[in-house]
Amino acid sequence: MDFLINWLANIPGFAVPFALGAMGLIICEKSGVLNLGAEGYLLIGAMAGAGSVLSFGGYPMLALGIAALASAALALVFAVLVIFLRVNQVISGLTIVFLAQGLTSLIAGKQGWTNKAFTGLADLDFGPLSDIPLIGPVLFRQDPMVYLTILAFFAVSYVMNRTHTGLRLRAVGENPEASDAAGINVMMMRLAAVLVGALFLGLAGGYLTVVVSKIWVDGMAGGRGWIAIALVIFARWRLWRALAGAVLFGCIEALIPRVAAIGIQVPQYFVLMLPYVVTLGVMVWTSLRKDTLANDPSALGRPFVREERR
Amino acid sequence: MKNRLMTWGLAGLALAATAYTAHAEFKLKGDPKPAMIIFSQKNDGGWSQALDEARQKIETELGIKIPVVENVPENATAIKPAVELFIDRGANIILGSAFGYSDTFKELAEKYKDVVFLNPAGTTNGENLMSYYGRTYESQYLCGMAAGAASKSGKLGFVAANPFGLVNWTVNAYAMGARQMNPDATVTVVFTGAWNDPVKERAAAEALVEQGIDVIGQHVDTPTPQIVAKEKGIYGTGHHRDLSEFSSATQCSSVWVWDRFLVPEIQKIKAGDWQSQPYGAFLSIAQGGTDIACCGDAVSADDKAKIMAERKAVMEGKHVFAGPLKDREGKMRVAEGEVLGDGDLWGMDWFVDGVISQQ
Repeated sequence: MDFLINWLANIPGFAVPFALGAMGLIICEKSGVLNLGAEGYLLIGAMAGAGSVLSFGGYPMLALGIAALASAALALVFAVLVIFLRVNQVISGLTIVFLAQGLTSLIAGKQGWTNKAFTGLADLDFGPLSDIPLIGPVLFRQDPMVYLTILAFFAVSYVMNRTHTGLRLRAVGENPEASDAAGINVMMMRLAAVLVGALFLGLAGGYLTVVVSKIWVDGMAGGRGWIAIALVIFARWRLWRALAGAVLFGCIEALIPRVAAIGIQVPQYFVLMLPYVVTLGVMVWTSLRKDTLANDPSALGRPFVREERR
Repeated sequence: MKNRLMTWGLAGLALAATAYTAHAEFKLKGDPKPAMIIFSQKNDGGWSQALDEARQKIETELGIKIPVVENVPENATAIKPAVELFIDRGANIILGSAFGYSDTFKELAEKYKDVVFLNPAGTTNGENLMSYYGRTYESQYLCGMAAGAASKSGKLGFVAANPFGLVNWTVNAYAMGARQMNPDATVTVVFTGAWNDPVKERAAAEALVEQGIDVIGQHVDTPTPQIVAKEKGIYGTGHHRDLSEFSSATQCSSVWVWDRFLVPEIQKIKAGDWQSQPYGAFLSIAQGGTDIACCGDAVSADDKAKIMAERKAVMEGKHVFAGPLKDREGKMRVAEGEVLGDGDLWGMDWFVDGVISQQ
């Protein structure tokens, strides 16, 4: 029973970075800009978050804000490259990852932020609610970002599917030429999508340091950005499916150390492989279904040149 | 050379003396001019920082300047220019820092016959190339004793990266040390599958705390398990460097003391009686390389005296994995009167009684 509670109570903390990251990627890619730089935005957000907490001596929510902004600043470089200069989006995305790896290592090293422990964001306590057996620790003893992430999903889902702005964003990713003819400024729409997406990716990175690890070390995103990219493909650019995928990953990530700690005899490499096996399985399953391609942004990865004939 | 062999023998090491083929001793042209290349950030708080600290100590002890370059990734296209630039500038001893440098160093050592290459955690050796590593089971055995002494419940946890020889011997020695102080002690191991992932390390440490452990050991690269120990009000033991720098919970750390090995090596190279070893140097506490930083407040003076006495015994030749030693399935691994050979150490894939793990 304790095992179950501990496991369930730890899932949200693991799911949030994947969920926020996947959401950021979906916003960006729905506008037709392929974003392979997720790992880079996570890194810069993680470092900026840790650096802010260390520099200002606390204020974790402020640090998360700075993490988001730092990531957006990096995304501006990416946006100029791919939207205005029409550089290949795959190459630019990968470049962002390498750039962020070097940059974070350099800045954190110079500032002496590496390996410095700090007090991050504490879990909320809802008094009696948090003390209800089973439900309390799982639902009412999480950090504020967990609840904000759920709210963000509702908000983004509403904007994407129920507002004019969302329609425009999706139109730009489906058919930029037609959108342009309809009077949408394709470049600006894409720029906005890249920047807003990066805000969420940076938030995911900031969450890793400010809320979860409470320490910065080099390269600590540890491939979570790539997992977020896989999640988006597996969710076929659908928000709620991406959230489900993130929770699934959270379940497995929270389970792995707990299974080991109680000494259940399972081969370790098999357990570590599990999240990826599940991803592959679900991807195969989703690709076998018929309705799936409809939601993919058709202009993904294609630069837009105004009034160019195709 | 005879002298050297005798020292090895006295230290009680099974450093395949029989397989030792004597080739020509290495002659260095001019005074030793070492240079160091580090694969990551040099102030990483762990492995690389320990190397950089050794570099600074060598500088003071030998009165020479040792230039250093950091963040040289473990691939040939990055390593070669860095090393060749140093050699162009007159460096004749190249100090490496990573397993991933092994093959490139082999290539470079064949190209630059007048330059000595020394690489920690490497796997390649040659006439002018030698890898070295520490017998961390000695230091982690002593840290296990400190952990056993600090623990009230006798339940210890351990966060490690991946289960292979040099991690497994650490875990086993840790459990054996703990059982010196508390015969019923257990060590529960969680493998994170990563050397440098504080998120996974925190998850592992927290999962262990949920199971009621009250001391947490580690063989990963960040101090995260120690920080979790402090937050939860329990104790810990560190690896690479003295982690009490990061957390007051740390009672003992297995630390690298490479300068104790490198200073005499460089002096030998200078004197012209240095020779590489076919399987590299595998350094005990007595030879420098590894040692402990011990102990914190939770280890009583009596217990500390016991640990220090054991350290002395180990330095005088006591082998941690001396027979009779059975694994936890009851299979005899080291017969009475024998000690575990180096080959078996590197290939260790079994655990002793008291280790609780997935494998």
